[in-house]
Amino acid sequence: MMTPHVIARVMLIAFGVFLVSVPWLIPALLNPFWVSVVAEIMIWSLFAASVNLLFGYVGLLSFGQALYFGFGMYGVAIGVATLGLSFWPAFGLGIVAAVVIALVSGILAVRLTWHYFAIITVVFSLIFYFFAVSVKPLTGGDDGINFALPPTFSIGGYTGSFGDASFQYFFILATVALCFFLMHRVIQSPLGKAFVAIRDNDVRAALIGLNVYQIRLIAFVMAGFLAGVSGALFAFFGRYASASYMFYHVSGEAVVWAIVGGAGTLFGPIVGTTLFIVIRELVSTHWEHHALIVGAMAILVVILAPKGLVGLWNEWLLRRGARTAGAAVKTKLQTEP
Amino acid sequence: MTEPVLRTENLSKRFGGLTAVDRLNLSIPSGRLHAIIGPNGAGKTTLFNLVSGLLSADGGHVFFRGRDITGLKPHEVSRLGIKRTMQIKSVFAQLSVAENLWVTRNAGKRFQHPLRAAARDHETRERVELVLEQSGLSALADRPAGTLSYGDVALLEIGMALISDPELLLLDEPTCGMSPAETERAVARIKQLARTVDIVIIEHDMSVVFEIADDITVMTQGGILASGRPDQISGDERVREAYLGRPEDEDYVEDVINA
Repeated sequence: MMTPHVIARVMLIAFGVFLVSVPWLIPALLNPFWVSVVAEIMIWSLFAASVNLLFGYVGLLSFGQALYFGFGMYGVAIGVATLGLSFWPAFGLGIVAAVVIALVSGILAVRLTWHYFAIITVVFSLIFYFFAVSVKPLTGGDDGINFALPPTFSIGGYTGSFGDASFQYFFILATVALCFFLMHRVIQSPLGKAFVAIRDNDVRAALIGLNVYQIRLIAFVMAGFLAGVSGALFAFFGRYASASYMFYHVSGEAVVWAIVGGAGTLFGPIVGTTLFIVIRELVSTHWEHHALIVGAMAILVVILAPKGLVGLWNEWLLRRGARTAGAAVKTKLQTEP
Repeated sequence: MTEPVLRTENLSKRFGGLTAVDRLNLSIPSGRLHAIIGPNGAGKTTLFNLVSGLLSADGGHVFFRGRDITGLKPHEVSRLGIKRTMQIKSVFAQLSVAENLWVTRNAGKRFQHPLRAAARDHETRERVELVLEQSGLSALADRPAGTLSYGDVALLEIGMALISDPELLLLDEPTCGMSPAETERAVARIKQLARTVDIVIIEHDMSVVFEIADDITVMTQGGILASGRPDQISGDERVREAYLGRPEDEDYVEDVINA
């Protein structure tokens, strides 16, 4: 008997095996180009997870996560191109920059909720977007910064570098998987329960003794961390950074990915991001208005499946579980004398 | 004389031109179940909001066991042991019944562990199971709280107030909207709780008030109209005029007096 728990376990393992085998499987089945598409999907999934942590678990809808993505990106690019840092310090600089700016803006932003919060996050990201465009010497403005890849590490004679497509893929996979694992741990922890309590009813949460402001700020900084890691990875992946990735359009896309995939579920952002990036890659070469498909699907999902695609799936699993449990009870009753 | 559990001193709150609570001096002794009654708009819920920190006072002070708690944030008031329920039932709708209790039990902790699995916390889980049993909610433990019946939500609310080991419980119309059977259950529960916890209750249902209260304070227009034992209150002419004199309640008051 396949209980929901077993089905979920099996799917998770299958998904893991697939991800690990991508560098061999995909070139054999399709072509090597799709390996980098999968790598890109993982990076953007992590970015969507940042939106999801705030909106899906704490109930704060941010339209400004691109700001922290951008800081992650610029931290790496400026670290490598301007400061001459090697891989790890540049990676660290990107993440620290994102976390620090998330803390500073979060101190102001999480005083607000709902549309006021959404608006202030947009405002912050716009301020820094125009700032990044205007300080050309530092950021390269619209052209961005291109940089030469530093090697990641070398052990003995072996040098790992993003120049090697397989190494790049596995480095991204490992980093994104680690971040998702951390997020999973947080959600299952007392802090995670407090997140959801605040999402459900912030007044009540305060009355039972939760420091709502402080916990929202912690979530905001954690989301900034996830966005920062994804931005730093994307900088290494693309070997450049550009202010255009700080525009709120980018934030908005991640909101759509997270909501369509399923806000408040761990895997929702992965499903949503995968769906839309695959559509983009398949359709955009034939039809320039592929965004129309994205828009139509987003509307359909929001109306028909408010908890997103993963929410639909979970409901199906639950119903199935209830059925099998019901059947089990029945058989038990029948066997009793 | 021992320190009252809750005392207000010239407590005032204005909303624009309306004075909801007007220089209120209230003193509630420990160990007696205290009911606050009064017509709609008398300032009862505003008083609770001022005590629990949801509103900040325009003037005056609130003392909890002699300690000035005026101006503290809701979570700070809560961590002192003052817990309250809301007039409009309010639980964490998407969390299960057990999770509601779980998160309430843990909320008072200053540090919310970010990485340890919540399910591993055996001490809290045992406590949750105990309260589930005491509240008669064990069978509903895994149901999302948003899908419960009204009476069960009210029981969950009281369970949540209880699991955090309160010192003072503020119940805002706990039986509002309940069926007679549910009311009976809730009243029994409150009476049982009152033996160990100080309780202040706002209630509109006079049968409930006269059944459970040791002392009654009647509020009108943000101030105290009368305060005393139930028989003093039901005999008070001003109270009858201002509040109990409404025809639908009068019969009942007569019954109580004659009983």
